[in-house]
Amino acid sequence: MDTQSLILALGDATHAGRTFNVMPVAGDDPVLQIAVSGADETPVYLTVTESQILCLVYLFEESEIRTSALPELHESMLRISVPMPLSALGKVENHYVVYGSLSPTSSQTEVMQELVTLADNAIDLLQTFEDFLE
Amino acid sequence: MKAVLKKLMTAMRGSVNELGEAVVDSQGSRILEQELRDSEHELKQAKNELAALMAEVASLNRQIKTESDSAESREQDARKALAAGQEELAREVAERIVGHERRKVELTQARVQLEERTRGLKERVQKAEKQLAEYRRELQVVKTNERVLRTTAQIDTNINSNQSSLSTARETLERIRERQAREEDRQGARAQLEKELTGQDLDEKLKAAGIDAEQDSVNDVLARLRGDQPS
Repeated sequence: MDTQSLILALGDATHAGRTFNVMPVAGDDPVLQIAVSGADETPVYLTVTESQILCLVYLFEESEIRTSALPELHESMLRISVPMPLSALGKVENHYVVYGSLSPTSSQTEVMQELVTLADNAIDLLQTFEDFLE
Repeated sequence: MKAVLKKLMTAMRGSVNELGEAVVDSQGSRILEQELRDSEHELKQAKNELAALMAEVASLNRQIKTESDSAESREQDARKALAAGQEELAREVAERIVGHERRKVELTQARVQLEERTRGLKERVQKAEKQLAEYRRELQVVKTNERVLRTTAQIDTNINSNQSSLSTARETLERIRERQAREEDRQGARAQLEKELTGQDLDEKLKAAGIDAEQDSVNDVLARLRGDQPS
């Protein structure tokens, strides 16, 4: 599974009544921006390495969180991460992210399932953590 | 592995990771890749050596067997010579037997030494294999970290060139709420349309005006029942 074949496959595909709007992100590495219909506000970024297909959604920046609320946010994120289907919470640089990684041998259906779940989870998480925002 | 994770954590902690740190990481992975190659090389050498030693042991085993077989058959010859009263010939054969047995002892000693070296080498191979698996795991962590940093940098650059800046969580939430409201409106409109199509909306209006066909027929039945009963 590489980003080229994903662009072709996702363009016409429907999964659980959802469609995918795929755009390559310019740069050295193959990265895709994928908007899932019905969750367009939280685009999923996908990149393929030799060991995994990594999908991630930006939630918020550290600067957007009330400083006093940070410890409680972290605690909540750690606790919520385990039961959340197919996704985990993390932080890259200053971005808080929700992400999922799949085996590079995953099928298209599995990738689509991951994308839909991740985009929906991102919306639920944003609404859940809204009270922690500045 | 622990060392690699700690290094990564130190690099991540504190201020924003600028590209400088990504460079340090990629040097880290280059060093690891070199160590991996050295380890693979060492493993290959040790395996070759091991194969050669094992072949040597097999060859020694064959030689030892030949010496024993020869000694055994010469023993029969010696017995026959003795039975025939050929003392001198029997002595000559006995000397041969001694030679065979001496070589057998020498070969067996050599085999013991070889077997010890084989054991040592097998341990080295196992250690190298374990080390190799460890390096591969570390390399995967370091490379994935590099990749994630590069990917997010690429996404950020892209977002910044397409929009004025990354939209804030508040803005995103606002857009989500707007969409959800639109969806609710659409659902409401659909439900309303359905009511109109089935005439349910008219029934509701009649009911609100105190005109209820269902209630009326119930009352009719009750009136009839009352009328039937003699008062």
